[in-house]
Amino acid sequence: MDLETRNELLKLFKTKLNQAMRLYLETCTRCGVCIEACHVYASTGQVKHIAAYRSEIIRRLYKKHFKLRGKFWPSVGEAKELNDMALEELFEAAYSCTGCRRCMVFCPFGIDTQMLMSIAKLLLIGAHTEPEILTLLADTSVEKGKSIDLFKEGFLQGIKNLEKQVVKKWALEAGETAIPVDVEGADLLYVALAGAHSIIPAAAIFNAAGENWTLSFFEAVNFGAFVGDPTKTKLILDRIIKEALRLKVKEVCICECGTAYRVMKHLSGTQPFTVSSITEVHARYIREGRIKLDKSRFNQATTYHDPCQIARNAGIMEEPRFILKHLTDDFREMSPEPEYNWCCGGGGGLVALGEETLDFRMKSSRVKADQVKETGAAILATACENCHTQLDNLNDHYNMGVEVKFLSSMLADALVQDGSRRVQPI
Amino acid sequence: MRDDINVDKALDLSGLACPMPVVKVSKGIKEIEVGQVLEATTTDPGSLTDFPAWARTSGNEILKTDQDGDTIKFYIQRKA
Repeated sequence: MDLETRNELLKLFKTKLNQAMRLYLETCTRCGVCIEACHVYASTGQVKHIAAYRSEIIRRLYKKHFKLRGKFWPSVGEAKELNDMALEELFEAAYSCTGCRRCMVFCPFGIDTQMLMSIAKLLLIGAHTEPEILTLLADTSVEKGKSIDLFKEGFLQGIKNLEKQVVKKWALEAGETAIPVDVEGADLLYVALAGAHSIIPAAAIFNAAGENWTLSFFEAVNFGAFVGDPTKTKLILDRIIKEALRLKVKEVCICECGTAYRVMKHLSGTQPFTVSSITEVHARYIREGRIKLDKSRFNQATTYHDPCQIARNAGIMEEPRFILKHLTDDFREMSPEPEYNWCCGGGGGLVALGEETLDFRMKSSRVKADQVKETGAAILATACENCHTQLDNLNDHYNMGVEVKFLSSMLADALVQDGSRRVQPI
Repeated sequence: MRDDINVDKALDLSGLACPMPVVKVSKGIKEIEVGQVLEATTTDPGSLTDFPAWARTSGNEILKTDQDGDTIKFYIQRKA
């Protein structure tokens, strides 16, 4: 690495050094409480996957380049030069961490490993050594925001095809427009993923609840956040904010995508609309008696995987359980409880990297497979696209013997279609 | 040969959801030479916006898009 590159990377490093980050970098006492907290370490037993080890890679660079003692007396505190070898270590640390923050729950000082890994990801972007495909996906999302008028026609045509499926399955509830798009003055803007599975069941439920809703032109997922690029994260987020403001909606509802929800909820700032996850909205419909469900639709033992970005990192733990209580008489909680739930192992961009990371994702998530198997459930519900894909892969790899389902799809399948929009409030 | 387009490589991405169609087409396009054409078949409605945006970002060109029910075919020429 030449001096100019190193200096540029150190400038990037410095942009991340706010007070919280300095605290994380200067506080670790190496107490070891985090050792067993990481699903990767718990599954593989490899020291390099201990949370404190990952953080130490960043911490040593920090000491060398931002602390006087590290600059002049690097052997004390093991300060380390930022060079090509350090970049390789940063890559391995950042892309074997899913950002689930389970270690943070155990750490007595609340050190946020995910935040520390965001330094690693930013340096990798600066050195052009980040996973190329994640940047390409982020750029594609940004491009859609810039040139949406060019793509609207194709999008609307795709939605027209999906409407037929909504009407076919939920004829009584579909109404005149099964999937409304670009409706100014709608109460709720639904931001889905690109796939039909993210749009059709959601449309059925919104229609059954009599919601005044409209579908976003944009996909919810934020690849800028996966790759750790703050500028692209904001550009991708701003597309949705601008759309919500233009349509004057009161609520932005994010589909079953953990990262999308966390980013929208925590980074969108003060806006004239509220941000909800679709799980919160569905629980609300049940509470208000706006939808009626047939509990006999699912009579098998069911468990629920808490997506880390929705549960541990955003606090939505009660709502999915409330929904499941109305879907099954045999709900089986995993152990440990939601706050300490094991990550599925697919976050942080790992699932988006596809087959490239499959072997690692399977080996690093054995504890998740064991946790699911111990419940004896036949249905494994979840509320995140990434988690669903990873759990499906784990199901095949470890013969878990479950059917992995989206919570929203279960809800849509259990909808009682009586044509009358109001049912008895609970 | 599809109509007037010579296809050099075909990818069946049916059943895959976002972002996999874009991930796989990005890899697939690198396996053909500049000027050659990749045919990508998807069932993901999001690809109708994802693929054109990806093509603009990656500097490739979508020569034609065919839709037949839920099946969408893109003919993409490698430009870069």
